[in-house]
Amino acid sequence: MSKILKEYTYTPAKIDKGYSGKSLYIHVGDLRIEEKEVTEFMKEKFVGGKGFDLWYLWHAVTPETRWDSPENEIVMSAGPLGGITQYSGTGKTLVCAISPLTDIPIDSNVGGYYGPLLKFSGWDALELQGKADKDILIFIDGNKGHIIIEEADDLPEDSHLLAEELTSRYAENEQDKVNVSVVSTGSAAKHVLMGMLNFSFYDPRRKTVRFKQAARGGLGTIFRDKHIKALVVKYKGIKGDTNNPADLATLNRVGIKYHKQMHDLDDKQNAMRKIGTANTIMVMDKYDLLPTRNFQTGGDPDAYKISPQVFINEYLTQGIHDGCWYGCTMSCAKTADHFPLKTGPYAGQCVTVDGPEYECAAGLGANLGIFDPQAVLEQNFYCDTYGIDLISYATTVAFIMECYEREEISQEDMGGLDLRFGNAQASLELMHQMSRGEGFGPLAGLGIKKLKKIFVERFGADENLLDDIGMENKGLEYSEYLHKESLAQQGGFALTNKGPQHDEAWLIFMDMVNNQIPSFEDKAYALYYYPMFRTWFGLCGLCKLPWNDIVPADNYLTDTPAKVPEHVQNYVEIFNAVTGKNIDKEELILQSERVYQFQRIFNIRMGKGLREHDSAPYRSMGPVTREEYLSRQERYDKQLQELQGLDPSTMTLDEKIAKTRAYREKQFELLTDAVYKRRGWTNNGVPTIERLQELGMDLPMLLEIIKPHL
Amino acid sequence: MITVNTKEHPWHKGMTVRTVIQEKGYTFTHLVVRVNGSPLHESLYDSFEIHDGDEVLVLHLMAGG
Amino acid sequence: MKALHHRQEICTGCLACEIACSTAYFKTEDRNKSSIRILNNDNTFHANICTQCGECINMCTAHAIYRDRNGVVRINKHLCVGCMGCVGFCSELAMHYSDDLPEPFKCIACGICVKACPEGALEILMSKS
Repeated sequence: MSKILKEYTYTPAKIDKGYSGKSLYIHVGDLRIEEKEVTEFMKEKFVGGKGFDLWYLWHAVTPETRWDSPENEIVMSAGPLGGITQYSGTGKTLVCAISPLTDIPIDSNVGGYYGPLLKFSGWDALELQGKADKDILIFIDGNKGHIIIEEADDLPEDSHLLAEELTSRYAENEQDKVNVSVVSTGSAAKHVLMGMLNFSFYDPRRKTVRFKQAARGGLGTIFRDKHIKALVVKYKGIKGDTNNPADLATLNRVGIKYHKQMHDLDDKQNAMRKIGTANTIMVMDKYDLLPTRNFQTGGDPDAYKISPQVFINEYLTQGIHDGCWYGCTMSCAKTADHFPLKTGPYAGQCVTVDGPEYECAAGLGANLGIFDPQAVLEQNFYCDTYGIDLISYATTVAFIMECYEREEISQEDMGGLDLRFGNAQASLELMHQMSRGEGFGPLAGLGIKKLKKIFVERFGADENLLDDIGMENKGLEYSEYLHKESLAQQGGFALTNKGPQHDEAWLIFMDMVNNQIPSFEDKAYALYYYPMFRTWFGLCGLCKLPWNDIVPADNYLTDTPAKVPEHVQNYVEIFNAVTGKNIDKEELILQSERVYQFQRIFNIRMGKGLREHDSAPYRSMGPVTREEYLSRQERYDKQLQELQGLDPSTMTLDEKIAKTRAYREKQFELLTDAVYKRRGWTNNGVPTIERLQELGMDLPMLLEIIKPHL
Repeated sequence: MITVNTKEHPWHKGMTVRTVIQEKGYTFTHLVVRVNGSPLHESLYDSFEIHDGDEVLVLHLMAGG
Repeated sequence: MKALHHRQEICTGCLACEIACSTAYFKTEDRNKSSIRILNNDNTFHANICTQCGECINMCTAHAIYRDRNGVVRINKHLCVGCMGCVGFCSELAMHYSDDLPEPFKCIACGICVKACPEGALEILMSKS
């Protein structure tokens, strides 16, 4: 029986049109628990989810706050639509903190049951501040109105064991397990800066706990630094009206329409119910866009070995609901069940591995030169249970592998690991080292930005080369899309708030294949509309995938099929149906833009929100090395002719590389100019007072930050 | 000469929408096709003839991430 | 497996079955609360009824749908979260809902409409599942 450190009783607030109206603050050092009012101002300007998180985080920190300062907070919130059951992708939670990798706010959108159950327990948001002396666990019983903080010694470190044990402990019986959700990380989170958080949900068919990840930015690292072992919430009694929507009939009607569409069309479109996001692996390979060997090339003859069909045929359970919240008929969270592990502390055991999602197969597969599906799944398992951000891990190790193959670092520098492309065993061993805090693990776990400096200073690596091939922006590693030929996506990654995560914009096909955004103005519009639209989901507790991973049968007849207008209208309708508000699709964008501008100014406040911080490594923009140029020579030579009026036949390879580089770097600057203008920013990337006034966001706290830069 | 996604592409007699898709190497299955601004249902790709000077859009609706 | 069957050559479209069903389960004479729906197609009367195919069982997002000992597909109301996924997914369009009811409803082959039908157009049949 664990020692109870603090108990708190409360009356769970009744949910009114998607909001409980209260947020929970816990100082884990002082064991102080407070209830805060969620104000009309907050709902009006920030909506919920990421908006609430950033609002609370702003007030918790100062410009001097670092990730391991006690006043740094982990804040999480579902949003007003979080927890509805009628539509797909409605169980998301947004988690924010000052990131160990970037020193600015990270926001991470995660599935699983914790956020919705937290809200139904009476809390629109949860703030965790301070640091505990010893490992603690925080349990919220949302039906009883009971919060318990207890010592958490004697619990396993790794999520697949920890969450299973806690789910069994807090559930009254087997049937009650679906009412319990656990937030946890793993043994690596103490040793790396790229630690992530797992949000659990119990799968009653598989009779096992499963996870989705709040992966990016190092949230798990902060969690363990605060000595939080786990958060547990329990709430029983979810129905279609638990959010007390203003208009249940509309929710039902729109939801059923969407479910029917999923039933009729998913198989013919992206087959999300069969394979999830990994359906894009072979598409990306065929279009030369699959990031391979640290983003050097766009595919590999062996890519078929990790194709979706291989996973469907040999590993993934088919035909049963998989989704990470109720009501999601897109049901894209696949699993490989009874998967035997070959390495590490759990070697020989059969486990349930979630995924592989696209990022996993592309990152832990192609980008590391690994084309073995078993190795992709085993790396995925260990990233998940050890609490390592899979994307940051994959892009970092891809960088390390290229440095090693180019002899910028030696095997001895890596403590004897033979981390060459394709060596899955070495990658797995590196993960085990991260878990144990030994060998090369902690060093690799610092991430690319810090590694570049260390490789140069300690091992004598070439600084210019490493700056070019280290795929990080603002300190966060790039996610797994080869975008060096898409100027729009270069902006989509670098001109972001948190760093190069593709949740803001995914424009590669629209740009390169469809050629729909040829001018700077076209690209600037896309880099205004899509980030604003896509980040709206994070205010509301929604998943982006149901928006465009399936489209209505008549979508092809609309003026703007890429926007999927009927689905945009669905979101307007369900937002109004829950909240009782009366937004339209224009106001939807403005809701998102208010928070977007706030986050940009928050970055400036933390010292990293200006143009210089939006720069990108050259590997993101064009061919760094001779092999890269030669791999696409025809295309690059043609561009020298057509775009610059040069004659490639008279130029040496190095001259061609240099001219291509100068041109592309200039193009990126011109794009940045156009995008900043469209977003209402100065040429240095600072939001203008005029734009803030237009949005109703000319708050004194924001004007104080931007005025010195104007 | 026709254009495909505003870029020039050689035309030949008997060209259909399907021919264009094949010649461009568009293996992605979820396409939206417009010929001279008019949307075309996928059941017509094999039969719909492309004429010299036509403007063809073959939009890939890739959802992405 | 038990399932309700309808013989359209006998049916006169009197709707006594619908009234019997909605009265029995929801205490109202309301077509929209009946699990059997008679459709008039140029004076030929088809019935929309659950065939107990069970497709909804695997897709239910709350694992709330199951087969009882007679093979009849049932919703466990304690587990159902009202997502209406089964309503959207039913290939027969035989899973019904009403905004004032937390859970969807369907034919459970109880036989009440069989007794109510004046023409004998309905029967419960057992088949191999």
